[in-house]
Amino acid sequence: MRNDLEKHDVRVIALSKDTVQDAAFHRQRDGIGLPLLCDPDLEVIRQYGLEHHKALEVSTGRFTIAGIPLALVPSIKTMAIPTSVLIDEQGVIRWIDQTDDYRLRSSNERVMAAVKSAFDSC
Amino acid sequence: MLDAPIVLASAGALAVLGSWVAYLATIPSGNVPAKPVGSVIAQLIGVGLAAAAIALRVQGGQPIGAAVVVPASFATMMATFFVFLLTQRKTPIGAIRIKVGDPLPPFAAQTADGAPFHTDSLNGRRILLKFFRGHW
Repeated sequence: MRNDLEKHDVRVIALSKDTVQDAAFHRQRDGIGLPLLCDPDLEVIRQYGLEHHKALEVSTGRFTIAGIPLALVPSIKTMAIPTSVLIDEQGVIRWIDQTDDYRLRSSNERVMAAVKSAFDSC
Repeated sequence: MLDAPIVLASAGALAVLGSWVAYLATIPSGNVPAKPVGSVIAQLIGVGLAAAAIALRVQGGQPIGAAVVVPASFATMMATFFVFLLTQRKTPIGAIRIKVGDPLPPFAAQTADGAPFHTDSLNGRRILLKFFRGHW
């Protein structure tokens, strides 16, 4: 997936309500290579209209067993609705994909189809 | 000799745990089933086995005992939690304020390194911006 995106010169950036400390921990624990942006006050998430009020979060905190995070602590929080936004060199939005079931995300096929349709004719 | 209620309750706990593990294993690859029918059936079977174990004990007029109560409770609680999580899956889409063809609304944020970030730095680049729920 990453290679396919690189072929089309598309960089991935991810934003969530995590604090800098949470994001740094997450990045290290899960070996995430892509840049993570932090929006703990939900300013960007609100600006874009992507708020999920009173969403159920099941978090590990910092708890792991043998390196495997075990979800333990349910809580109710406001967070982003999982959403993918494809932007071109001019800063124009070319594709938006939003899920109505947070368990399901944009599949690789859907993302690559959008990337190809946006950039292959260029 | 194997005690039937203990075997049943343990099998129930294993069915529920196995179903949880199999479901969670689909997450990293992005292959989460849209309708996890198999998982729900496995969880129900687990609860059914747990209930059968307790019923056998009650029928036999014996104390239920920790060896049955612990796995039966585990199966019931974990299955209930699984179904509860499923009921919470819907997201309130519809309030979105961006649309295809519009310029990306500029914003500032901090990176995971604590460095300042502004969308100006994306100028001239193709970007896939992912909004996600946050760490686990």
